[in-house]
Formats: sequence, C-alpha cells, structure tokens
Amino acid sequence: MPANRPTTEEPRLTVTRPPRRRLRRALALALPVPVIGLVLLVTSGNLLLPLRQVVTIEAKMASKRDFFQDPVVERLLMKHGFRVHITNMGSREIAKQDYEGYDIVFPSGQPAADLISRERARANRPVLLYRPFVSPIVLATYRDYAEVLTVEGVAERLPGPGDRPMYYTLDMRKFIDLAHGRRKGTQRDSRDGYRWDEIDHDDLVRNGNKILAQTSDICESNSAGTYLGLVAFVEHGNDAPDSEAEAEQLARKIKPLLVEQGLPSAERAETYLSPDGHSIAPISVIYEHQFLAHQIRHRAEKGKTDDERVLLYPSTRFVTEPQLVALTGDGARLGELISTDHELQRRAVELGFRARNATGGETSDELTRFLTERHIPVPTTSSDDTRAVLPSLPLLEKMIEIVGDCPDRTGSR
Amino acid sequence: MKRGAGLLALCLALLTTLLTACSGDDRDDTVRLRVLTGPDLTVPAAVLAELRDETGIDLRLDHRADAETQAPDRDRYDLAWLSSDRFLRLTDKSATRGLQRTPIMTSPVVIGLKPDVARGLRARAPGAQLTWADIADAAATGTVRFGMADPRHAGSGLAALVGVATAAAGTGAALRPEDVSCDRLRGFRSGQTLTADTGPALVDSYVDHQDEANALITYESDLLALNAGDRLDDRLEIVRPEDGMVLADFPLLLLNPAHRTAYDKVTQWLRRESVQRQLMRHTLRRPVNTAVTRDPRLREPVGNALFYPDRPAVVETLLADYGDPVRRTTSQVVFLLDFSGSMRGARMAALRRAFAGLSGADPSASGKFTRFYRGERLTVVRFGGRVLEEKTVTVTGPKDLTALAGTVARGGYGDATAVWSALDHGYRTAARERAADPDRSVSLVLMTDGENNAGLSYAEFVRRHKALPAGVRAAVHTYPVHFGEADAGELRRAAARTGGRMVDAAGSSLSEAFKEIRGCH
Repeated sequence: MPANRPTTEEPRLTVTRPPRRRLRRALALALPVPVIGLVLLVTSGNLLLPLRQVVTIEAKMASKRDFFQDPVVERLLMKHGFRVHITNMGSREIAKQDYEGYDIVFPSGQPAADLISRERARANRPVLLYRPFVSPIVLATYRDYAEVLTVEGVAERLPGPGDRPMYYTLDMRKFIDLAHGRRKGTQRDSRDGYRWDEIDHDDLVRNGNKILAQTSDICESNSAGTYLGLVAFVEHGNDAPDSEAEAEQLARKIKPLLVEQGLPSAERAETYLSPDGHSIAPISVIYEHQFLAHQIRHRAEKGKTDDERVLLYPSTRFVTEPQLVALTGDGARLGELISTDHELQRRAVELGFRARNATGGETSDELTRFLTERHIPVPTTSSDDTRAVLPSLPLLEKMIEIVGDCPDRTGSR
Repeated sequence: MKRGAGLLALCLALLTTLLTACSGDDRDDTVRLRVLTGPDLTVPAAVLAELRDETGIDLRLDHRADAETQAPDRDRYDLAWLSSDRFLRLTDKSATRGLQRTPIMTSPVVIGLKPDVARGLRARAPGAQLTWADIADAAATGTVRFGMADPRHAGSGLAALVGVATAAAGTGAALRPEDVSCDRLRGFRSGQTLTADTGPALVDSYVDHQDEANALITYESDLLALNAGDRLDDRLEIVRPEDGMVLADFPLLLLNPAHRTAYDKVTQWLRRESVQRQLMRHTLRRPVNTAVTRDPRLREPVGNALFYPDRPAVVETLLADYGDPVRRTTSQVVFLLDFSGSMRGARMAALRRAFAGLSGADPSASGKFTRFYRGERLTVVRFGGRVLEEKTVTVTGPKDLTALAGTVARGGYGDATAVWSALDHGYRTAARERAADPDRSVSLVLMTDGENNAGLSYAEFVRRHKALPAGVRAAVHTYPVHFGEADAGELRRAAARTGGRMVDAAGSSLSEAFKEIRGCH
C-alpha cells in the first residue's frame, strides 16, 4: 500500500562519489598502525596538533553538552588530549541510572550531583566535584507573549535599547496567581486557571491554552526540578519548606500547576528554539546560557539579534550550578582543566555561561564585556529580586516524586 | 543494484589510490540495525542507502502495524522509529523511561477540506478562523464528511483523537480523567465516512472514495503530498484549527544500548542539513535542523500545540469511546420533560432555548461539540400528572429537529408533577428500544422543576426498576436535571440507583445543564 503513495516514489539517486568513510576503514585495515593514526589526525582536522595520546572520556550529561559539543571546545580539549563521548539524558536520570563505566557525569544542577556524590560516598568511593560555570534558570518566550503579560501587569520590561527590549522581569507571584484563577485581586475557582485568550484582549497571541511555563520531564531534568523549587518557594511565602510534612503538603498544593502541561516533551530549549517554537513552546523553562547562545549565534550569522525571542527573568531568581562529577582519574583531570584553563573558561562565556565568580545575580564581568562587544543587550537585574532557596535535597526529592509521580529514585534497589 | 554501484566505486577508489587488493566485499564492518517502525513512517530508500554508504550503518526497517501501540520487543529490535512515542511513554513508562530519543522531523495532524466546504465554513466562522468545534458542528449536520485513521492502530488517528478531545474539553490544559467522563465526540464522529488502519491506507482510501468524503484528517505532510500529486479531483485546503493541534515528531529511539555509538552516528547524520533538506523534499515534513531553509508550504505557522494528556486512563477512555469506526452504533436519548403548570413562562422559555441550542443554535465551542447530530435518535416525553405526549425522531436533517422543537414548543401543561411515573415510562420506552436494537445505547434525561405529587411514589418506581431486565437496568442510566423547586435529594438518589449523575440547573442555566450531561453514558 505505501508503495502507491506519491511521497514514497523516490527517485533512486545514484551515488557517484566514492563513499569516504568506507575508504577510510579500508585504508585502516590495509595499512600499518602509524598510518591509521595519521589518517585519523588528517580526517579529524587535528594534523597540526602535537602527536600525543588522546584519552576518550565517557560522559553522561544533559543540557551542558552544549558546551562539550561546541566545535571550539572540542578542539581545545583535543589539544589537551581529551575527546569526550557523550550520552545524553536528563540530570536526574543521570543520577538515577548506573554510571559505572563513565569517567564523568555532568548534571545541570547541584541536586543531581549531590545525589551522586552521596551515593558514591556511601559506597566508599568518593568523587571530585568541579563547578566550572553557572547559569540562571529563566522563562524563555516570544515578544507577543511577553507583551501580553506586560499589559496584564505580570511582566515588566527591563531597561534596554529602543522600545523592543530583549529582557523582562516576571512577577512570579502574579504569574502563579493566574494559574490559580486569581487575577487583579479577584479569585475564581482555583482549579480554573486563566487561559491566554482570557487576558489577551488585543488578540496578540490567539491561544486558548492555559497560561503556564512548560518544563521538561520533572522526573528527569534539573531545570524542571529547579522550577518546581522556585514555584514552591513563592507559594510558601518566599521560603523553602524545612520539614517533610511541610514539603509534602506544599508539593500537593503546587502539583496541579505543574501537571497541566500534560506529558512533558524532552529538549525544552531545542523545541523553543525551533522555527515552530512560537506555536509549540510559547513559554519554556530553560537556562539563560541556552538563550544567550542562540542570540550570540544569531548575531554572528545574521548580523542582528533575534528580535522575537525574549527572556522573562523570574522575580524570584535562582542560579543553577552545573557540577562536573569526576568518577575516574581521567575525569578529574578533565574537570580540573575546564575549571582552570583560560581558553576553555573564555569559550564558556562565549557560549553564554556566567563565570563561577558571579553567582550573586549580577552578570559576570566577562559575560557583560563579551555581550557588549557583540552588540547584544546585557541582562540587568533588579536589586529588588529575591534569591530563591531550594529545599534540602531529601525534601526536594520528595516533592519531585509527588508532583511528577516519579518512580522511586532507587527503583528496585 | 545500488549496492553494486557503491562497491564498484569503492573498488575503483581503492585501486586508484593505493592499488591494494579489493576484496569486493566489506560486509564485515557494516553495522546492521533492526528498526521497528510504524506504517506512517516513510523514509526514502535513497536516504537509507546514502546513510549506509556514508556511515556504514544499515537500517533494516520493519514496518509493523502495531509499532505505535505495543511495547517494542527489545530482543528483536535495536531501534524504533515511530511517528510519536507518546502512547508508549504513557502506557508503558517502564519500557520507555530513560530511552535515548531524538526527533528527526515533525508534522502536525490537521485537516484538509475540499475548497467549497472550507469556503462555506469560513463564511460562518468569526474572523474566518476555523476550529475543531466548527468541524464537529459541521460533522454533526453532515456538512463535513471526513476520513481519519483508526486511532487504535495509527499514530495520526490517535493524535487527531487526542487533539479533538482536548479541544472539546476546552480547559486549555491536558485532559484529565474527569474531562473525558462524558463522550463529547459523538457529533464529530458522526461525520466520519472513511477509515483505515494506517496513515498511508487512509490516504489511498480517500483517493479511491473522493465522492464519499470532503475532508481528510491526517499529517500536514500527507495533505501536502496529495496536493502536489495528481490523485485528487479537488485539492484539499489545509486548515490548522485555531483551537490547536498535536505535533508528531518522528523520534528515533535507542532500544538496545549496546548500539549507542551507531545510534549517535545515525541521528547525527539524519539531522545533518543536507539530509534534513532531502527528507523535507521527499516527505514534506518539517525539518528539525533550523539551518534548513523551509519549503514555502512548510513556513505556515504550525498552530498552537495542545497539551498532551499524561494519564493513561484518559487515552484508554478516549479509545473505548471511539470504538470501532466501521461499526458505529446508534445512541438514543429519552428526554423526560416536566410540563406541569409551574413550568409556564420563563422556565418554559429556558427549556425551549436549551433545545434550540442543542439543535445547532448554540455558537459556543461546547455547544458545537454537544449538539444533536445526524443518526442520533431522540425521544421527547412531556409529562404533568401523567405522560402527555411522546415523540421520537432519528435525526437526518433540520426537519427532524424542527419536529422535535415543535413538540417542546407545544403548550398543554399538566396540573401535577408525576416524576416517578414519567421515569418509569422512560424505562419502558428504553426497554422497548433496546429490544428492537440491542446494540443501541439509551440514556434518560429527567428534567423537573417540582416535587413529585402524583402517580407512582419513589418506592414504587424503585420496585419496578428492580423488576426490569438486568441488561436494561445495567445499561440505561438516568441523568436528572434539577430545576426550580425539585427535590434534589430524591433526584440524586435516583441518579445513583440507575448509574447516572444529577446536574443542577440552578447554579447555571438549563442549557449548560443539558450540555454537561451530553454523551454521559
């Protein structure tokens, strides 16, 4: 049946050029070892690098593979004798699954790293931790959505050049209130959260969906878990719960807000940055570096920034600290390298990360300088913003399990 | 043939460069991966051949009809390439959690309409923007006759079903079990004239039966391909409904972790700009690589994505309600309407408005989804101190609904309220109808504005209800509508006894109350 479809009647293309990879393999089989090395160096473009042994690091990471998969970073690492082979999965999933056979794991935030280091400490195999850079959690959106929220009084433009700012601040209290059916001091059924078309009087966005921020799977990802922590912090009167009973009660209270998006889709940033992002991911919880990297790339390729994609900085801020967990000696050497090497640190900034020294909320000097050089607006933060505190690890875990109906972290273990 | 050419080229290349021996076969280092795929996935053979030549990885696609709905057999397959893995993620969390997944291309599930139908519907829609509610409304009147793949088997059918049901619930959030406790899609379904087990079979069926349908619900890519070919009498206008769509993202899943290296190679290769461009050209799906310049037809906004439910029970209910598209059964509703004197004036006006609304006058989205539809069987029983009149129609067109409205509009009030005699009468009617057609689903709606003051007592009704055939008792539920001075406690008891549910018109309106219980049985 499918054969009758016009789409499947493909012209059979004849391959005219020799398949290079096969050739390479055939060569490798036919020639003595030194030549293999030479061929590899030639084909991977590293001919000019000093001939030295390259260590392949087996790594598991989530969004921070953006750093390791950057061609410049790959080249710099190769220069130091490292090649990194990445298995991609959510941060919490990294902590949950077996990491035997890996040199490093690099979850996007502290909670997952803590889970791992605690477990290893219990097994009497302590790990080394490296925190090479940081990045705040943000809500990435589109200008028309940000403007609807601004008219509503929930978002506010942050000062910037011209009348089309790239950054807004989002009043988390009011934003969550909308989802609770509370608007401008009036409360309706709290299960009946507001929809975009109810507040969008100028038909800017034409969307009948509930007003909420989409996250990736809360059972698997650090950004989703961190967003849960933010919402919990706001809902708990700008405080983190500090007893199990409090945490459980709070988790049940915020659960309806966080599950209305239904089945979460993976790859929040990729979805948001796709050409159809406006339709399929109007507000997405991602990291600042993912947004900035997009703008830096856009600026480099098109000569201007992407004017439609803008950031909402939650008034309650949280800066995530990705932690490189070294499980082997080679892993520790790599962790040491990316935390201290000047070129790699500089490249991290060029990819939108903030330097480690700038957890205080203000943009790091290096990032400010770099963005200014590239004529990209620099995010400025209001001193009024609150810094959120996540609940302690066991409580956060408990809350994640309640909200996401996640299987127990240890599974059958 | 292809392989021969590749080998020849390889031999020549080797000879000219190194003059080393060419064994004529490099079978040993080709990695062969067994890939489970659904019928909706089309990958040009040329792309697979190129993949093999450039990466040494040979994907052996095995198209299985149940790929989208059955947990994949990991002993038989290394990878799975589906139109969507949502159903699996939902129904078999343990089998899918932690699997590497990489979306390769996307396509929204939308509707194609023949131009005259699209024009007609747009003329009536505010801002000429069509919604699933408009489609459901037009399906209920027979204006739209559509083809859609069977959601129990096909990814496109399931995406369409979830999309339409989410739009029907109108909550703006992912469907919860309570949102699907009543079947809001009967009117929509009544417009389905074509079905098939797979996406490609549906397209063929539509091509072969263009006189039986004027709309096709499937992937945007299928509609674009049909329009680009010469198989259609009338090209289909692609409508991406305002109230949202479900996007298929054709993920490649790694089932066997031992093949991770090969998987990484394959996904990287498939997402390369040149390959994505080729896939876009051949399949008319949207590329995931943002560097690819899109075909102008794929630059249209995709439409707001609806939130996909995250509870298996929701999808199970939707599928159960959907049933077998080729074996549709009739539904019948018996309306037992209180025509006692107290209904005179404003109350009667509200009742007539409610009936007019259900007959198509209600312009709201919920009204469009819950209206009376073609093929539905409707009975109106007017009662006062006794049953005054009974009228049954099977809806074939506006004239039947007019006849029904006439019955409701006629005066003739009774002087008392025999609630339980009327309900007893309703059960006898239901028993008679079910005896004539055992497949028919029958439910009762009992609307009253006063307390029972004539005819049978509640106890006597219960006694008679207990004496009904077990089949009738189990299948025919009563949905009382509480209005005016009716005894809510008794009505609630009757609902509980018969397996129905009471709705209160006091808090909202009679129209809202009637809409709330449409499709609830």
